Amino acid sequence: MSQGRTGDINYRCPICLFREIDYDLLHEPEADQFYCRRCNWEGDELEILSLYSIYKQRYKDMLKRWTVEDIRAKDEADWVVNDR
Amino acid sequence: MFALNLIHRPELVPEYIDTDAQEGQAEQLSKQEVVGESLDIFRLQQDIAHRNGLKTTIQMTYASLYNDEACEIAKEHHKQFGDEIGHTFLGVNCKEFREKYQRKDPAIWLYTMADKKRIVVDSFERFNEAFGFYPTSTGSYFMDAELIAFIKEKYPMVKIAVATCFEEGPKVFRHANNSWYTVMDGSPWTAWVPSKKNVHAIAESEDDDLGIVAVPHLSRDLLAIMDNPGDMWGTHPQNIIRGLNYEDDRLPYMYNIVDHYRVLKEQNNGFSYNLVYVGPGWMGKAGRWEAPYRILKKSYEDFLAYYGELKKQGEVVDMTMTEFADWFRQNQPRSGPIVGHWKDIAFGTKNQAYWYADSRFRVQVDLKMGGAITDLRPYASKLSRPCGAGTEANQDASYPYIVQSRYRAGPFVHYAGEGAIKSCKVRYNGEEIDLSSCRTLGRASQEGDVRVLTVKPVTVKLRGLTIDLATTYRFAPNTGVIEITRRLTHVSEPGAKIEVDEFLTSCWGTTEYPEDMSGCTLAINGSGGQQEALTYEYLSREASVDRAVSVEAVIPRVQTKVTLTPQGEVDRGYYEEGYSFAPNLKIGVVKTIGLNEELVTCLKVEQAI
Repeated sequence: MSQGRTGDINYRCPICLFREIDYDLLHEPEADQFYCRRCNWEGDELEILSLYSIYKQRYKDMLKRWTVEDIRAKDEADWVVNDR
Repeated sequence: MFALNLIHRPELVPEYIDTDAQEGQAEQLSKQEVVGESLDIFRLQQDIAHRNGLKTTIQMTYASLYNDEACEIAKEHHKQFGDEIGHTFLGVNCKEFREKYQRKDPAIWLYTMADKKRIVVDSFERFNEAFGFYPTSTGSYFMDAELIAFIKEKYPMVKIAVATCFEEGPKVFRHANNSWYTVMDGSPWTAWVPSKKNVHAIAESEDDDLGIVAVPHLSRDLLAIMDNPGDMWGTHPQNIIRGLNYEDDRLPYMYNIVDHYRVLKEQNNGFSYNLVYVGPGWMGKAGRWEAPYRILKKSYEDFLAYYGELKKQGEVVDMTMTEFADWFRQNQPRSGPIVGHWKDIAFGTKNQAYWYADSRFRVQVDLKMGGAITDLRPYASKLSRPCGAGTEANQDASYPYIVQSRYRAGPFVHYAGEGAIKSCKVRYNGEEIDLSSCRTLGRASQEGDVRVLTVKPVTVKLRGLTIDLATTYRFAPNTGVIEITRRLTHVSEPGAKIEVDEFLTSCWGTTEYPEDMSGCTLAINGSGGQQEALTYEYLSREASVDRAVSVEAVIPRVQTKVTLTPQGEVDRGYYEEGYSFAPNLKIGVVKTIGLNEELVTCLKVEQAI
């Protein structure tokens, strides 16, 4: 096993990212594998990207545009005081 | 008025590019190339701003004051575009500095007071040599009141400073792998006039006025910030990219956050504020983490183009920092209040938060928790808390909380009962529900000077009984009092009555870890003048007094007294001492109410002498 270096793209450990820690992965060129020095994750680029895509699922509105008017109106339809 | 301060700094050797260069990365950049690239980034940022018709404040770093090219650019842009040449203590850790001071701390607030004074005089005098005048704006990620007071004494022309990073506390520290010592929770989220005693706290009077307008390093998402690191959630496109809240070059969230701040105008008598401050390290050609230069650059171009478009529409006024300070002094009250009712614009939920701040406290209400108070910073105490080497606080520059429901458990989670929270329980026939389990919504309004948060009534089922309970918060500015009304608006069984328990579970600290509660006092004041009281010793003692007129707690380590005073007669008041596994104190008042009856309680926060 040789010295790990930051890869051409400086990926962060996806598992550490899930607990809100930015931690750079190191890349082992012979195995073409990335590994984390903090936790016990290792994997290839495809695994990193698939875990990132899972991470992004928390942002259900990631591609949604909320304008001033949208924000003003947001949740107002739910403001119906119980009519009993 | 929606005001924008756009700040750029010629950092010359941004920390990340510097590190990469030292490690032989980043296209094998040499030191000289790093300086060149950094100045190129600064030029690019300036060009993007000017292309969009926006003026900037150029904050000169220590190293840039020794760089003729950087000084010339600043002079030229001041002349051509009206940009302000300001000053910053960011980027002090450069070659010239290290040679002179033999110190390594990268941040002004971490130095000894003696060193802080040397650095202030050194860099301000150097600034004067370079430009022929002293700066009227300065800043860092944090500047304590003692540092600002020294600057004002020595250089009274300074009018404004970037004084904190809003909620860059333990969450950001952890996010940066426990290595980024910006531990500074507790300030206002927008511009304010700081107290002489503590920069986080809003000044209560002319005598208490520190003499500057303070602004936060960025404008942040007031909902996401509650449980996420702030360095992914602000008016900083590359921070948003850091949080992976984007797809390729699409970041609609960066427009959403600006537009939410535009909505805040309506809650603050027509005023709202954005500060944009992207350091050059975020736009290096080597990219930043996974994001390539192409996306880093485009996100900034798109972001400033949006402000440029808003400016054309008359929806934003771009100012230099000093122009803004002058405007703020003339148009905004010194002691607030400030309100921020924030809706979710990222996670796809109906979650909302309400923030309020004036010279007596900063309060966060979480509507997802039934409108419970989940963060409370007692500005009334005006805690003197200098930071840096040689001080007790040192790196921990936060203003302490007396309620923090995420750091300190909040609602009931295990057999030790609730952690820190200000909430309410309802009881009927032996069943009990904490309103913090009832997700709801809020509306912000104003009655005269009083800021009102109306919480949508929650429906609760108790032993077959269905009730609706409505909550209203009233904040009378700069009184230290929050009036809380709980009104029963529906009962499924005619004549049924429920017990309402208005309580505060409190502690103090700046992080997730408990602090010493020894010496706290608890007291119940009875209607006949009698008092039941104790001094905190972690012994789980409890007391209750029928028809109590008030209950109170004093937390001496933060010089704060909190009192719950009900209007009219109540069944009882009580306190609970807490113990080592539940290191909190609890005070509450209980009243039995029927349909259309209410419990009104005043929560007062004041300085304990």
